[in-house]
Amino acid sequence: MNETAVASVPAAKAASGVASTVPVPAATATAGTPDGAFLVHGLGGTQYDLGSMHKRLKNAGLVTHSLTLPGHGTTPEDLANVTAEDWIDAVVTKYREIRDQHPRLHVMGMCMGSLLAAVVAQREQHEKGNLVMLAPPVYIDGWATPWYRSLRPLLYTLPAVRNSMKIEEEDPFGIKNEQLRAIVKAKFERGENFHYRWVPLECIRQVDRLRAIVMKAASRIRCPTLIVHARQDELTSLRSANFLVETIGGGRARMVVLEDSYHMVCVDNDREIVAKNVLEFFGAALPGATAALVNDPRMSREDLATAVGAATARLATGDFAGLRELAIPDLTWVQPGTNRVSGVHAGKTYAAFASRMAQGGDPRLVAFGTPVFNRGVALVPATLTASNDEAILESQGALLFAFHGGKLLEARWFADDVEREDAFFGAPEPVVEGVVSLDTAFETAAATSKTLRKAPDNDTLLALYSLYKQASMGDASGERPSALDMVNRAKFDAWTKRKGVGREEAMREYVALVDKLKAAEA
Amino acid sequence: MQHVVLILFVVVTYLALAALSAMVAIAPTDAWTVWLASGIALGVLLATSIARWPVVLAGALIGAALFALWLGSPWLEALGYGVIEVVAAFAGAYFTSRFTGLPARLELPRDLAALVLAGALPLSIVGAVLATAWHMVSGGTQAASTFGIWFVANFVGTVLIAPLIIAWAAFRPKRSGGLAMPAFAAGAAACALYVISMHLLFDNHFQRAGVIAHIGLTYVPMVFMALTALLWGVRGATLAAFLGAVIAIINTAQQEGPFANANGIVAEGELQVQGYAVALALTGLLIAVLAASQRAAMQRARDWRTRFETAIDAHRMLAYEWDPASGRMAVTGDTLHLLGVPSSALATLADWLALVAGDERDGIAARFEARRDGQGTGDSVAYRVRGNADNVVEVTDEARAVRDHDGALHRVVGIVRIVPATAA
Repeated sequence: MNETAVASVPAAKAASGVASTVPVPAATATAGTPDGAFLVHGLGGTQYDLGSMHKRLKNAGLVTHSLTLPGHGTTPEDLANVTAEDWIDAVVTKYREIRDQHPRLHVMGMCMGSLLAAVVAQREQHEKGNLVMLAPPVYIDGWATPWYRSLRPLLYTLPAVRNSMKIEEEDPFGIKNEQLRAIVKAKFERGENFHYRWVPLECIRQVDRLRAIVMKAASRIRCPTLIVHARQDELTSLRSANFLVETIGGGRARMVVLEDSYHMVCVDNDREIVAKNVLEFFGAALPGATAALVNDPRMSREDLATAVGAATARLATGDFAGLRELAIPDLTWVQPGTNRVSGVHAGKTYAAFASRMAQGGDPRLVAFGTPVFNRGVALVPATLTASNDEAILESQGALLFAFHGGKLLEARWFADDVEREDAFFGAPEPVVEGVVSLDTAFETAAATSKTLRKAPDNDTLLALYSLYKQASMGDASGERPSALDMVNRAKFDAWTKRKGVGREEAMREYVALVDKLKAAEA
Repeated sequence: MQHVVLILFVVVTYLALAALSAMVAIAPTDAWTVWLASGIALGVLLATSIARWPVVLAGALIGAALFALWLGSPWLEALGYGVIEVVAAFAGAYFTSRFTGLPARLELPRDLAALVLAGALPLSIVGAVLATAWHMVSGGTQAASTFGIWFVANFVGTVLIAPLIIAWAAFRPKRSGGLAMPAFAAGAAACALYVISMHLLFDNHFQRAGVIAHIGLTYVPMVFMALTALLWGVRGATLAAFLGAVIAIINTAQQEGPFANANGIVAEGELQVQGYAVALALTGLLIAVLAASQRAAMQRARDWRTRFETAIDAHRMLAYEWDPASGRMAVTGDTLHLLGVPSSALATLADWLALVAGDERDGIAARFEARRDGQGTGDSVAYRVRGNADNVVEVTDEARAVRDHDGALHRVVGIVRIVPATAA
């Protein structure tokens, strides 16, 4: 359900101006199929343009789809022969491919991607979901656009110039937050391929053509539309958003104005506001149990009862790690008290919590009472039991589950007697000042692995993958991929070979391997 | 192919500027008032890598020789003239590159000084010496005047053209960033006023209309040149200097403006307008370069601050400076996310103490008093403060006294670290 369908065609094909997706027979949405979201990146960009929107949408239970636009993902020179029609064709093709796979399909784009999303919405008479336009550049008139911007139509008349002139990305890179900007600057200096450093002038001409198409088409958009625009957008002023709201009209379009961001709204200071508004607009789950009370859970009471039953069955056997299979990737577990297992464990740290629980005297949640349901939330009386050589724990309390779209978002244990649990599990591990924790070292190594200039050989890549999975998710689970899916099969096998390796050992090995690769580069 | 384009650019630009120089000449002799072409080779040499110097020098040689031939010089003389231009340009570029590196930039006063003193000056001297030697060998007798005319015309031309080429060679079109439209519009207004004031000053048509009395208001354009340089930067300053020089020299050549017929001697007016053009250009360039260096310094300061803030934010730390004399406090760091208040709301010690948990507040206030009165240098304490969600968070506060040369307390500076939560 949370699979990301990123178009993964060879880079050369993506650059050739051919639509970057291969049409496949459309699957028909069946009951229980989650909603989908189709995300389109901007000019010269990649999915980095959309920040963590993929992850947030997945966490909210949506399946995300994206594509690499023609001319992108390779080198800027490949943009020279790409036309606005090529981009439109690629997006329309992808849209038609995925349209019938979901009961609702939302379309969202960033910058030029938002113009393409609008064209798709108009041409396909998209009414199967909503449309989100992030920083749409209908007018190129932001406060930092250079003085010679109005001269470009003159240069368009000279083919040699428009094909050879490079239009560079420059400070402030669309980012107001100076720390983030420094990171983006460093990425450019390292030559990371997350965004082109320049685009040909011809490419700007194609964007201008696309702008003209959107100006004509906007009035024929039929779906509810959300336009998110920063007041201080340095590339395109609020005039663009106002134009779209007025032109789409009919009460279908509304606008969110951001006050603390520049153009890259998904990564800048207001990214949380953007995410919240987009999730709300898509009717998706907002994070947290409280939000589950507010949102439409997109589950019937029966579905909720079944989901709670599945979760309690896992917990009754002490399978805290297995609970993740029923949950979103960022499952949060809140454990009260001041002890070895207490705290807020979310996302990657959940695996550490499950591992600690497994070492904590075989804890289980048993003696479940009758659940109480309210929208997507269920409250279940239960008893936490555990035992070791010295003591037996029987702690009564209640377990609160928050669900959305069939997936567990959050679980909170409320113990009647927290001190009893503190006594049983023991004091938390002291925080050693000045010493980097293994978790931190692991996360740092994971980030570092993405900055390796030279791709490691296949064996090393498999070792990195398997150690990472073992450290973050524990033993391999699920079905072994088919022999035709060679890459994923090899990855799965490599992970399976690590079975039984402890989380901390896997983390240490992973950190050591990344350090070794980085040192070799130096 | 690139080499051919570069040679063609140098040749065509050389011929164009040489023709312009001939056109604006005041004295109808072989001595031009301003030899704009001299700045071409130097500017292009400094704007490119040293590997392209032979190509640029070849272009300068061809351009100079062609121009001499066009004037009617014999082949050998034309070639000799080209060689003088090439040697002079090479000398200027070589000395300048010793101080600025390549490709040269005009971002610091030092860059400008290097271009003028190590570039334009040696170029003019070398060119003048070689030309004078040639003149004398050819049987000429006016060594001093030949030297003077060559030196001044080349120096003025180089100061006007070389910075123009260096500044514009670094121009790259951008999607965003650089000179924005409002600054461009303001600069355009300043530049327009500058050009108008130059016309008012130098064109007799306006003077006869009584717009500016003939009272020598030669400093008026300086104001608009300064504004243009501030708003448009080095590129605008070089462009304005060039335009202003052309207006001044053309009108002076037509016996108009404040330097026409100075004391009835053409050469004196010529010298005055040359000096005026150089003063105008250097003033604009100096202002633009100073502004650019200030912007660069501000950028370095911002980069430093970003690095500092990144480091303390990553460690969930705050830094503070407390002035015991006034009670004022300055807190740096992400106070909004860590404590739920902007740093501007923590302007005094009382503001900080208001965040401290009620049962510890008096104790911490006493601790700060002790820091004020004590003779020690350091003090560490752990306490609880209000967090960003009205929760209570533990902090460690490590303070150090900063004392003056007499040992008197000047400031108390500290690092506050949010202790990671271990329990829900």
